Amino acid sequence: MEVRSVLLKLLGAEHEQVLLSLYEAEGAETYGSLLRSLSTVLEDNVIPLSLALDQGKGDIKETRKVLFEQGVCKLSHPGGYGGMGLPFGVYALAMELAGAADASTAMSLGIHNTVADAIAQFGSGEQKRLLLPSLLSGEKLAAFALTEPSSGSDARSMRTKATKEGKNYVIQGSKMFITNAGEADVYLVFASTGSGHGAFLVEGSNPGLKVGKELGEKLGMRGSHTAEVRLEKCKVVAEDSLLGNEGLGFEHAKLLLDSSRIVMGMICVGIARTAYGKALAYAKERELFGKKLSDLQLTREKFANSAIDISAARLLCMHASRLKELGLPFTSEAAQGKLFATEMAVRTCDAAVQLLGGYGYTSDDVHRHLRDARLLTIGEGASEVLRMLIASQELEQET
Amino acid sequence: MTASVLSYSENADLAGEVSAAVAEVAKQLGTDVLALELDEISAGLRSSGRVVLVKGDRELEAEADSAAAAIAQVAKAKGFRAILVGETRFGTVVAAKVAARLKVGSLGMGKNLRVEGERLVLERDAYGGKFVARVAVKMPCVAMVQAGAYTAIDGAPGPQETMKVTAGAQKVALVDTRLSQRGATDIKSARIVVSAGRGFAKKEDLALAQDLATALGAALGCSRPLSSDLGWMGEEAHIGLTGAYVHPQLYLAVGISGQLQHVAGIKDSKVIVVINKDGQAPIFQVADYGIVGDLYDVVPALTKILKQS
Amino acid sequence: MNIVVLVKSAVNEAELRADPAGHPVLNGAAMKMSNFDMNGVEEAVRQKEKNGGTVIVMTLGGAEAKKAIREAMAMGGTRAVHIVAEPSDAPDSLGTAYLLAKAIKRIGEVDLVVCSEGASDTYQGQVGAMVAEFLDMPFLAYARKVETVEGKVRCEQGAEKGVRVLEAKLPAVVSVVSEANVPRYPTLLQVMVAGRKAIEDLPLSSLKGADYPETGMEVLDVTLQSANRKKVLFEGSPEEAASKLVEALKQEGVL
Repeated sequence: MEVRSVLLKLLGAEHEQVLLSLYEAEGAETYGSLLRSLSTVLEDNVIPLSLALDQGKGDIKETRKVLFEQGVCKLSHPGGYGGMGLPFGVYALAMELAGAADASTAMSLGIHNTVADAIAQFGSGEQKRLLLPSLLSGEKLAAFALTEPSSGSDARSMRTKATKEGKNYVIQGSKMFITNAGEADVYLVFASTGSGHGAFLVEGSNPGLKVGKELGEKLGMRGSHTAEVRLEKCKVVAEDSLLGNEGLGFEHAKLLLDSSRIVMGMICVGIARTAYGKALAYAKERELFGKKLSDLQLTREKFANSAIDISAARLLCMHASRLKELGLPFTSEAAQGKLFATEMAVRTCDAAVQLLGGYGYTSDDVHRHLRDARLLTIGEGASEVLRMLIASQELEQET
Repeated sequence: MTASVLSYSENADLAGEVSAAVAEVAKQLGTDVLALELDEISAGLRSSGRVVLVKGDRELEAEADSAAAAIAQVAKAKGFRAILVGETRFGTVVAAKVAARLKVGSLGMGKNLRVEGERLVLERDAYGGKFVARVAVKMPCVAMVQAGAYTAIDGAPGPQETMKVTAGAQKVALVDTRLSQRGATDIKSARIVVSAGRGFAKKEDLALAQDLATALGAALGCSRPLSSDLGWMGEEAHIGLTGAYVHPQLYLAVGISGQLQHVAGIKDSKVIVVINKDGQAPIFQVADYGIVGDLYDVVPALTKILKQS
Repeated sequence: MNIVVLVKSAVNEAELRADPAGHPVLNGAAMKMSNFDMNGVEEAVRQKEKNGGTVIVMTLGGAEAKKAIREAMAMGGTRAVHIVAEPSDAPDSLGTAYLLAKAIKRIGEVDLVVCSEGASDTYQGQVGAMVAEFLDMPFLAYARKVETVEGKVRCEQGAEKGVRVLEAKLPAVVSVVSEANVPRYPTLLQVMVAGRKAIEDLPLSSLKGADYPETGMEVLDVTLQSANRKKVLFEGSPEEAASKLVEALKQEGVL
């Protein structure tokens, strides 16, 4: 059974409302036309390739290229190195569209852009000059290497070490579940240093960086490439490689994750929106007990719940985005948005499988959304960790 | 004498249909018909009224400009209530130019033309063919008659006269013609039409459709992507709003999803059969009979049964 | 080269709904640049890229037409002219052509006017030819290939039996078919930059002279086409289904 893809253009109306509530009318109109234009491009050039990516038949380079060429990475980076200087919210909404088109591609791009963000925020003039233009254009691909075989949620306990030796650092250790591994031209590797933790830019061609075998049994996000990355006496030149302060790498990481959580949340909103759209279309056609599936009350309840869920998730993420734009603290809000959106996506995609019944269970084109979403309650801050973060912020405010 | 209704088509078959339309309109107006033939009288001309053979200082039907100039001159000289032109690409340009020269309204793609008071009213497809619009325009006017909207009139033409006109300066020159190798049966007049769409994976697979067409004695057409994007078939095979309107007894849509624009071109078919592996394809909404299945299995099976019977 | 490209903001027919009475819900209907016009814009931009010069995007329509203009600008238009029409104006093909021609004349030196084979919503395909008449320019229709060289334009026109190659001196009007090119997707940066470019608004009344042709064209009603087909599906193996189909067709008397 062929399942109709969601017309990305349907998202246009929902996005228009969000834009109007966040920005001045003129800005909202401009951003709206950007997103509409992007929708058309994604619909024509990414969605048709999406199923094949899940089935291991496609090449994520093709779909990523579409997003790079459109300039999705450039949207909210400041001008100067090729950025378009638009509000972060525009990028966030663009990533919802990307997630709705193809989850693996969106995630791959989002993670890549987090590294670009790291360089933009913490890089030296030279590092920015050397790397930002090619990262923003997609000429070069980046990977974010924080997680290790023995430490995910407890990132601070990482074992990878970077030891200063004259003008160099030698990095030793191993990173795990790294998206874009093997494809990336540059890796942002976090390691403990004498004074805390450091973030190091390591070139993919560095002989001390070894990419392990591709993790081939992933439940979802099958379009992207994920593997272990080992640093074996990996020598880097301190001045070129160290990003920001030698002891504050972990603090840098936390700041980066705040923003990337908004993005991951929005990607999940997109995934949920696509699955929901397929369920809607199916319910309007499917007949049972002399009626359409969409006529039955229990179905309608599900749709109402999903509609609210998607909207709430989007708005929660965009709230964090707006706080970020205004220069206000947004750590808890970003965590809330990501937590809610990712759990919502799993809920909504699961409901879609249920609604599509036998076809839901037996079609890659339906259950892949659930499988894709399922990663994101784990990665980029597991739900448990985010709950602890949110709770401690709440309690701090009470005292 | 009361101004007449003029009819024109560069295509002899279509001219017969336009003559039928013109005869109806003239009757409602209580006026007469003038059939315009440019350069020479077509063999087998069917018309109900007088024929005006229009001759110019050079070939008039060589290009739309000269044809339009000729028609406009005749119209001015004779007086006219309406000029009905057969809808082909050439006809569309000619009609538009005639209307602009005579400063009268022009309506395209018309069927069911009638006179209501001082206005000509017709029906035509709108919004991709999803809707039908009834449109009126003040007479005198120009209107295009959709191919297949009328049955060609039966009858020999009436008295004939010749008129001389000036073709005017030649603005567009024909520098080359490249004839296509295709000798497709005319889909517009075929009794049975088989049509291929994107369901076919490659050009070579169209042989399956051709086999089916041969078994049925049918003409082979296609949806727009196959002629325009893919170039697997010529433009003359394209069936749809912006291509040919067909009205066969039997139309088989194979591997066609049924975009509005395509459906617009087939809705006057007597029986529509659809073969498509996607049961949700919109084309099933306009099917009399359908098979939800892989065309690569169904078409050969169908061809085989037809050959046996 | 000064190129004018004519675009129309058309109703997105794929999303157009009908009300219970079968009339199209036009109020608030989604609009877009007419599909075929994208090929026109692409052709105009390509000619600009080859020959240098400007592409002036021109449309006649209400406020909603600005969206179509922005789309065209993002593809590579240099500037835009919007003939602002009120719903009560609603010119027909001839009136539209008259107004467009007037606006084109105001631009001054124009080398090429590009339009498409027809608007996606009304598809009468007359405006291009009529504009050429008002401007007294040659009209090359249904071009699948456009070449400009040494003050001339040469087009390949698809015809029933093959291809006709036409040539005319510039300035000329050319209509292109969708086979002519694949319209580009503008990048987000191009969309943003286009959004900032000024659009010149021309009120319709400023162009309407005493010689404006009043044709009294009126749309009396628009209703949903009814299908009324049998919708009988044959199931089973390909052979079984095909066999049942043949039987049914024999019954219908079409075989």
